[in-house]
Amino acid sequence: MSIWWLALVIGAIVSMGSGFIWLALQLGGAKPRKKAADSFEDAAKEDVEHIFNEEFREELRNRGRLHFEKILGENAMFLQQDLRLTTAQLNDYMKGEISKDLKEAFANYQNAITDAKQLAVESIEKTKTAIDEERAGLVALLEKEVGEEKERRIQQFDTHLAQIVNHYVLAAIGNQIDLNDQLEYILNELEANKAAIIKDVRGGA
Amino acid sequence: MSAVEHKQDAAISRQFVLPTLIFGLPEVRRLKRELESLDDFLRQSTIRDPGRQPQLPRLSRLCEALAAENGLNLLQEADRQQLQAFLGSLEGQAPTLHISFAADPSSAFTAKIVTWLRTQIHPYALLQVGLQPTIAAGCIVRTANKEFDLSLGQEFIKHENLLLQAFEAEAVLPVAQAAEAAPPQPTIPTAEVA
Repeated sequence: MSIWWLALVIGAIVSMGSGFIWLALQLGGAKPRKKAADSFEDAAKEDVEHIFNEEFREELRNRGRLHFEKILGENAMFLQQDLRLTTAQLNDYMKGEISKDLKEAFANYQNAITDAKQLAVESIEKTKTAIDEERAGLVALLEKEVGEEKERRIQQFDTHLAQIVNHYVLAAIGNQIDLNDQLEYILNELEANKAAIIKDVRGGA
Repeated sequence: MSAVEHKQDAAISRQFVLPTLIFGLPEVRRLKRELESLDDFLRQSTIRDPGRQPQLPRLSRLCEALAAENGLNLLQEADRQQLQAFLGSLEGQAPTLHISFAADPSSAFTAKIVTWLRTQIHPYALLQVGLQPTIAAGCIVRTANKEFDLSLGQEFIKHENLLLQAFEAEAVLPVAQAAEAAPPQPTIPTAEVA
């Protein structure tokens, strides 16, 4: 085995050495190939220039422009769609919000009107109740005062009944009663009060 | 009799008769003035020259009646002085009654009243007549300290209960008449149960 190993090692060394030699030879021989590469490079450039001429470049530019426009158009279309969608959504949202606000405002207004109407009705009811109470009070007061006045007049009539009859007699037949016809009545009355008259006359200063 | 009555009677001599025509103080004062003028005339006639006498004073019927009823001669000075004293006493001390009537009384009416006063109250009572149309009938007598309402109105007040009874009777009567005048209520016959 060791021979074989030795043989392999010597073979590897020989191959590597030959490789190195070949490479050195190649490198030594590249200086003149760089100049060829330069020419190849120039040639490549020429070929590139030949391939990518102005028309090709213009075509590429056109294609690019078209593609760009296409992309722009598509993006614009997408943007337009988005804007329309957004606008529609915004409109719907605004409508909804405005409707909601309006409904709320109208509802509040309706409530305010209802409350005001209720207050007015209550106020009218209270006023009506107060008026009814006042009227009842006035009616009671009037009845009371009329009753009191009636009682007062009846009391006065009872108290001054004789004077009333006296005035009535005087008004009715006062000017028809002759004084001479009263003589007997007057003398009777004087006779009835004679003692008191005498007492006062004789006892007076 | 009280001391005041003695004083009045002593001052006014009862020997004089006061005619009913002389019923008030104005008459007494007029008689005094007449007597004074008569006295002056007669006194002056004694000192005046004959033939130059002034107009004779006229005496009123009252003065002549007063002298005649008392048996006095007005030509006598003593009688005139007595009469003058009597009239002076009357003016100062005779009791005066003020009587108000519903109308102005006649002379005859006044004489009858004065006659009653002098026979029943005082022989020398004087009367002062007043007018109070508000009393329908009767009179109101006012003495020195009191007032006596003898009017018809006062009589009505005294008998007010009669008036009230009459009112109550009149008030009941229409109710009774209405009850009598009301038609009888028809009675509904009840159905007989077999």
